[in-house]
Amino acid sequence: MIYIETGSTDPYFNFGLEYYLITEKMFDEPVFLFWQTAPTLMVGKFQNTLEEINVAYAKEHQIHLVRRMSGGGTIYTDMGGFQFTFIIPGKTEEISFSEYIRPVIQALHDMGIAGAGFNGRNDLVIDGKKFSGNAQYLYNGFTLHHGSLLFDTNIEQMVKSTTVDPYKIISKGIKSVRERVTNISEHLKAPMDSQEFKMRMVTSIMGGSGYKTYELTETDRKRISELGDLKFNNWDCIYGRNPKCNLTKTGRFTGGKMEVSLEVSHGTIRDCTIYGDFFGSLDMDALCQALIGVKYEESAIASAIAPFDIEHGLYQITRSELLSCIAP
Amino acid sequence: MKQVITMPKLSADMKKGVLAAWAKQKGDTVKKGDVLYEVEAAKVVSEVEATVDGVLTEVYFEEGDEVDVDTPVALICSEQ
Repeated sequence: MIYIETGSTDPYFNFGLEYYLITEKMFDEPVFLFWQTAPTLMVGKFQNTLEEINVAYAKEHQIHLVRRMSGGGTIYTDMGGFQFTFIIPGKTEEISFSEYIRPVIQALHDMGIAGAGFNGRNDLVIDGKKFSGNAQYLYNGFTLHHGSLLFDTNIEQMVKSTTVDPYKIISKGIKSVRERVTNISEHLKAPMDSQEFKMRMVTSIMGGSGYKTYELTETDRKRISELGDLKFNNWDCIYGRNPKCNLTKTGRFTGGKMEVSLEVSHGTIRDCTIYGDFFGSLDMDALCQALIGVKYEESAIASAIAPFDIEHGLYQITRSELLSCIAP
Repeated sequence: MKQVITMPKLSADMKKGVLAAWAKQKGDTVKKGDVLYEVEAAKVVSEVEATVDGVLTEVYFEEGDEVDVDTPVALICSEQ
């Protein structure tokens, strides 16, 4: 097995690296990565970002959003945690998580965390509290298994950034399962800094010191950055791949209550209706029509409603209030 | 000849999978090896490929539907 230091905390670069390794570099022996990210929310491949992420909170706190190529639910990662990746050449006929999870648990046992084990959802737990989620994808003849490790992650930020409230969504996408979580650092007998933890994890999983490594070249890095942008860091990947959903947002303003119902498919508004007990002369049907085909994002919606005279057409509901009631 | 495409069993304990995304639509011509759809089961994403050349004449499920293992999800008609 080859260890590769990613040298980056950019989630798009690191997911780009995984993709590069299975589509272009294609080592014929297993590869292991152990990496970190700046604050990031990672949704599962077939999840709806609108349903899983508090987009306003994420924007305010400059949290990256990324869609993984693996299944499962949403996770929050930051510099207090780690990600690990196993890339195995050859598509296995039968999927198993235990062969990837066991070395991780063994490494934690070696550090004195005897309570570490795994539950029925292939999450790693200590005393029933989750500290690691795991997921896989099979692509281009490779099996890619990756997982997260909470070491000293900001749990408050994790909870706030994944608490979505202001609207009601109906969709068929894959839903996240809420579980109680814990940081590994709370269970260590003696304090350990994150770099020592990383060194011990990598050495243990690689089977002792003196393991084989590969150093990414400048050519590798350039291509990985390109793939990171192309496959992970763009609107189409993050929002455009959301499964079709129906959502309802309600606004209560001085001028009355407004309820907006939208059908959003592949990140684009397909249908819109607006009800309420508000007053005004604004042609709401024309406004709804103008929203069809518009990207479901604030700036695109603002442009679509720009030609309408909301200031005079709606009684005591401002343009920004209307926008907040429609936009994510 | 008609080829029935089913929901695969990806692991020993898999009972159902989510037909997460169609890569081909009803009426499309498909070649052996083309990805037909993606399945998600127990946090694993995998692709299901066409096993023959032909036309995808029937799809029985929508994206997001949960389907029992071995249930037919599509039909390919080929001239072979």
